[in-house]
Amino acid sequence: MAPSTPSSHRPRKKRKVPSAPGSNNNLILDIGDGKQTPAFPLVSFLWAARAGVSQWLILPLTLMAVGLFRWAVGLWGYSGFQVPPMHGDFEAQRHWMEITTHLPMARWYLYDLQYWGLDYPPLTAYHSWLLGKIGSIVEPAWFALDKSRGFEDPHLKVFMRATVIASEYLIYIPAIVNFLRRYTRMQGVHAWSASIALVAILLQPATILIDHGHFQYNTVMLGLMVASLDAILAGRMLWACLFFVGALGFKQMALYYAPVMFAYLLGVCIFPRIRILRLINIAIITLAAFTLLFAPLLVAATNPEARALFATSPQPPLLQAFPISLDKNTVAYAVLFQLTQTIHRVLPFSRGIFEDKVANAWCAIHTFYKLHHFDVSLLQRASLGATLASIAIPCGIIFRHPRASLILPALSCVSWGFFLFSFQVHEKSVLLPLLPMTLSLAGDGGLNKENRAWVGWANVLGSWTMYPLLKREELRVPYIVMTLLWAYLMGLPPVCLETYRSRESLDDPNPQFELHILTKLIHFAFYFAMVGWHVLEAFVPTPAGKPDLWVVLNALIGAGGFGLAYLWCMWKLITQCRQIDLQVTEDENRKKKQ
Amino acid sequence: MAELYPSLVQCAIVAAAFKVLLFPAYKSTDFEVHRNWLAITHSLPVKEWYYEKTSEWTLDYPPFFAAFEWLMSQAAAYIDPGMLAVQNLGYDSWETVYFQRATVIVTELVLVFALSRYVKSAPSWDKQAAHVASLSILLSPGLFIIDHIHFQYNGFLYGILILSIVLARKQSTLLYSGILFAILLCLKHIYLYLALAYFVYLGRFYCLDPKNVFRPRVFNIIKLGVCVLGVFGIAFGPFVQWGQLLQLKDRLFPFSRGLCHAYWAPNIWAMYSFTDRALIPLAPRLGLSVNQDALNSVTRGLVGDTSFAVLPEVTSQQTFVLTFIFQLIPLVKLWFHSGPNWETFVGAVTLCGYASFLFGWHVHEKAILLIIIPFSLIALKDRRYFSAFRPLAVAGHVSLFPLLFTAAEFPLKTVYTVFWLILFLFVFDRVAPVPERPRIFVFDRLALLYLTFAIPLIVYCSLVHQLVFGFERLQFLPLMFMSSYCAVGVVGSWVGFMVVYFTA
Repeated sequence: MAPSTPSSHRPRKKRKVPSAPGSNNNLILDIGDGKQTPAFPLVSFLWAARAGVSQWLILPLTLMAVGLFRWAVGLWGYSGFQVPPMHGDFEAQRHWMEITTHLPMARWYLYDLQYWGLDYPPLTAYHSWLLGKIGSIVEPAWFALDKSRGFEDPHLKVFMRATVIASEYLIYIPAIVNFLRRYTRMQGVHAWSASIALVAILLQPATILIDHGHFQYNTVMLGLMVASLDAILAGRMLWACLFFVGALGFKQMALYYAPVMFAYLLGVCIFPRIRILRLINIAIITLAAFTLLFAPLLVAATNPEARALFATSPQPPLLQAFPISLDKNTVAYAVLFQLTQTIHRVLPFSRGIFEDKVANAWCAIHTFYKLHHFDVSLLQRASLGATLASIAIPCGIIFRHPRASLILPALSCVSWGFFLFSFQVHEKSVLLPLLPMTLSLAGDGGLNKENRAWVGWANVLGSWTMYPLLKREELRVPYIVMTLLWAYLMGLPPVCLETYRSRESLDDPNPQFELHILTKLIHFAFYFAMVGWHVLEAFVPTPAGKPDLWVVLNALIGAGGFGLAYLWCMWKLITQCRQIDLQVTEDENRKKKQ
Repeated sequence: MAELYPSLVQCAIVAAAFKVLLFPAYKSTDFEVHRNWLAITHSLPVKEWYYEKTSEWTLDYPPFFAAFEWLMSQAAAYIDPGMLAVQNLGYDSWETVYFQRATVIVTELVLVFALSRYVKSAPSWDKQAAHVASLSILLSPGLFIIDHIHFQYNGFLYGILILSIVLARKQSTLLYSGILFAILLCLKHIYLYLALAYFVYLGRFYCLDPKNVFRPRVFNIIKLGVCVLGVFGIAFGPFVQWGQLLQLKDRLFPFSRGLCHAYWAPNIWAMYSFTDRALIPLAPRLGLSVNQDALNSVTRGLVGDTSFAVLPEVTSQQTFVLTFIFQLIPLVKLWFHSGPNWETFVGAVTLCGYASFLFGWHVHEKAILLIIIPFSLIALKDRRYFSAFRPLAVAGHVSLFPLLFTAAEFPLKTVYTVFWLILFLFVFDRVAPVPERPRIFVFDRLALLYLTFAIPLIVYCSLVHQLVFGFERLQFLPLMFMSSYCAVGVVGSWVGFMVVYFTA
């Protein structure tokens, strides 16, 4: 964080340590004359810690610093501020706190669905209930039933922002810290590089802007997912299932990760040898976790009041399709009604193929060929087919080679596939592929030029595609500041060209760490397009009759970039997998010779 | 020579990013004060600047600051002319907020420049310590709270002060140091508190022969005299010409205010008030007479002036005499020092700051920067200096907390200050060299005890008190505890530093 040890007296040999094999490479550049410079600005800020400073000091300081940025972003506007009658996500979350604290559980998924009806899985509902209870102690007016709709007050804002930070610091941050500790140790990465990666991951602009600016609790779901990954690295498959069900139970978007988790968990039960007991255990614990998740809701459905309510309510479509017809006054009917109603609310098939303008394949195709000519069910099937095709290869690889070190590229690849091709994608869903991609910064060679350039580029592009959303919510300044700050710290354009500059290292020329010329061209084209787009958007009015032209252009460029990111992740996955295979066969050959 | 990372510029960039994010944060009436000054200087002829009183926040800074506002108002005219109308009281369109907040960040570049000169001027064996000290000033929670949330231009002004102190390091630039300090006085007259140290130092080592007190250097005296008088002439000359000097005096030195400011600055008078409060219940037993007027009318240190129930009243003349005496003590050593010594000079500047802060009339809590910032420049000389600096760093910054009382800014001020304290006290501890003379053991232990007491106190004042008594009752209690606690720290570090200064 601040300089404390001079480096001139350090012995020359020691300099090699960070670039030794198995470490996170190229953090220190040798510029001749025995002088060393940090490879990118973020390294400078932790420069003093390279000699080894206690984690007990670095970690609290890091968490305080990133917390300050989060809180400062929270000072700005939020989704739906002063936009009656529906407001936005802030009001939705507040409204859920209001209904969960005041209504019996049976009515949670039924109450006035037109006004921000609850459409997130049960864990979000429980979370809202808890926060609503705490908030009602502070000020009951914030969550008064019906009367508090559209309530706006600086103190309520402070409370809500504080709940996001508290949830994040209780779930996401411990999960990330633990995951990084285990992951870097597994990959043989130096503790200093791990600290740098931690700051980079925690300052990821898109997540901060959406959770602390726009207002959502994505980090809870992402944190549970990271906890699940941590359990996988530790070999605790049952905990991994539990945490993953938690993530899924908090936000259905975690489904993007489900195919990889499924393929991996199935893979570890089959390869290298079939382990039936493990498979059964995993199946049981997953079922048990889901039961636990729904239990409070289903138990609440059994009381007479709830039964009476369900008997008179319109049936959810899933229940209509149920083959056996039940007596409406039985307990079984009530339980089934509650379950199907919840699922019906949570799964978004009743909506369109995409919402607003989002940088995925469907929106891109729609620009040139209007998709609403087609039947919704056809589109659903098309998107299902395309998604399955896009995730088949990574899922196949991770199923055949269930290795913990392959899980991050597989997750990024599959979630890019979902983002690009699946049904009903939000621009905010880009957080899902960005998470595993950004986590890879902590891996072996994760901070070298290539990985940093690609991960950085995807992150900048990700927050850029959210600009039209952020602009509506008066979050332009935080968007500019957080994105440029991250780009600056990571040594990326448009602020800094460091990553793309070829450095002749006198000591050991490492051409493999330099970027490929094609990569440079692609990235520069995109950075140029992004900056150019901002200029267009700011100064050139859209032509008459096409008010959304710039937004569509943003989505088109974004879709192209995300497609490339998908391909790059796929390529990374395949090469890493081959590398591991080669190593394994080499080891086996050596053993045979012996 | 090892390169020092993170560099000043890198820190300034990240800090600026953070400060931009604070644009919508709470802003005090000082924001409106400065907006009003922009309007006055932009829309009125110079003759009327010090007579305009549409707003209650009349212009009460010296002419150069008014000129500085005029300069900024030229740019403001392109941003939003609305902020430049004198009648637009309380005008705060988002353009105005962005503009004024941005000017604070931009003018702070002066501080960055001054600090880089400071590091450059340090001898090579001391570079690292100088670099750390300069980062601590750049990222100071004091400037952060006062400038970027509360709203003032201290970063710019302290930049000039530091530049002037750095120029005093070499005999060849002493003259420029004096000129710069004269300019600073014409920007904000609070720096008069430090003027005696400059007067003595320049008088002794620039105007007189450093080796022989009885040999004046006439040419130097003329140069310094002409330049300093020239600066004051440019600043005040026109107003003298128009016969407005008395009006300026009334605006710049409003003596009608009370001994203590709205919130007690942590100085001797805060301890005096605290003793007075504590004596009220004891007075009948001790046979002291209680001033009933004071008992009933007291605003209890929360608003307006305080008057004392048991202890005798304090007059402004008494505070001046005390301030003067305690400023003279360190200056004696500066005068009789054999040859110019920069560290002794900075020590004397710091002690002048201490004396005026501790004994001055109507001292603002913000004036603590007058001590902290010059002290930071020499705090890393060795561990003895550092151990005197430590309680000041804690008490001085914590004493600024009551400036921000809104819920949204609470995490910002506390987390940022704790972050700064942990980071820099740790780094200082590593960097500060071992002193030549042994340290006073008891003093160190007391300092440690003092530091550990800070955390429960902050928790009580910001949380527990409201839970126990609610927001309305006994509001003055946490403020009084806080300022008394901080006063102990500031006084303690003052005593400690006096010892270090005189034994060095």
